[in-house]
Amino acid sequence: MKIPYNEEIRPDTGLYNAKLGIWLFLASEVMLFGGLFSAYILLRLTDPNWMNYGQDALNVPLATLNTVVLITSSVTMVMSWVSLKLKDLKKYKMYMGATLLCSFIFLIIKYFEYTAKFDHGLYPSTNNFLAVYFTITGLHGLHIIGGIAVNGYFYGPGIKMWDSEPERFTNRIEIAGLYWHFVDLVWIFLFPALYLL
Amino acid sequence: MSNDIQHHINVYKKVFIALLILTVLTVAASYFEFGGIVWLAIGVGLAIATLKGYLVAANFMHLNDEKPIIYQTLAGTVFALIILFFMPLMWHNDGLKSPDNVPLQNGNVYNSDFESHHDKHEGGHH
Repeated sequence: MKIPYNEEIRPDTGLYNAKLGIWLFLASEVMLFGGLFSAYILLRLTDPNWMNYGQDALNVPLATLNTVVLITSSVTMVMSWVSLKLKDLKKYKMYMGATLLCSFIFLIIKYFEYTAKFDHGLYPSTNNFLAVYFTITGLHGLHIIGGIAVNGYFYGPGIKMWDSEPERFTNRIEIAGLYWHFVDLVWIFLFPALYLL
Repeated sequence: MSNDIQHHINVYKKVFIALLILTVLTVAASYFEFGGIVWLAIGVGLAIATLKGYLVAANFMHLNDEKPIIYQTLAGTVFALIILFFMPLMWHNDGLKSPDNVPLQNGNVYNSDFESHHDKHEGGHH
């Protein structure tokens, strides 16, 4: 049996089903990260000792590099989808591979940041700022890992679908891309909020 | 169709460059003093981030050309998000500012005879 509205447009929404599905999921993600941002604002406004927590000890150059890496991965992600639209599977592989590479670079840089904090005895339990920092960047890091799992599948075994249902596969990459751009978007706000302001 | 896609690719390239420039600008702005006005520094930082977020959402996520039902979904999300963000402010004005409620380093709790403490006992009208 064929699942309806994987490729063809559903008349009442004007979309294929997964498109509305991913946006509903992203809406719930906005609330998930929004709740943590909200907690950050509350702690920052109320904690009289906030200024003494050493926020300026965070590694701004590394975080800036990570911002560039993630923005680059967003561009390669959208280009992998465009490549499929142009029916160029070789270019798709190249761009999707670049996206995965950027994702791993991001995690490696994050690993160095985390271990540097631990080496200085700075843990989530140390103070309110570090609790917020580790919780939000940790959750964001989990989203990166989730994105690697999905994109890795579409780079590897999942690519088989291109031979049987190319349009459905193209849609899958668009959906995975929407998720990935959202993860990039969260970092765009995290970076100044945690590191710079 | 192919021309249309080529146009998209050009837009993606421009957005990429704009995002890189804005990233440099964000970092540069954070070193600028803004005459010691904290809210201005935070405002500029968040304004640049919002502009970057808009560029990503509008172009990479194609929100500049989407179906109404997605805009409706997002409008509901924004409404819920605004409530979420105002919750700290509501607490902030309602006694939660009391330092007793704020955990500090290594499990210690801020403990001092603050005026807000007295306010709470007198009914907390302020």
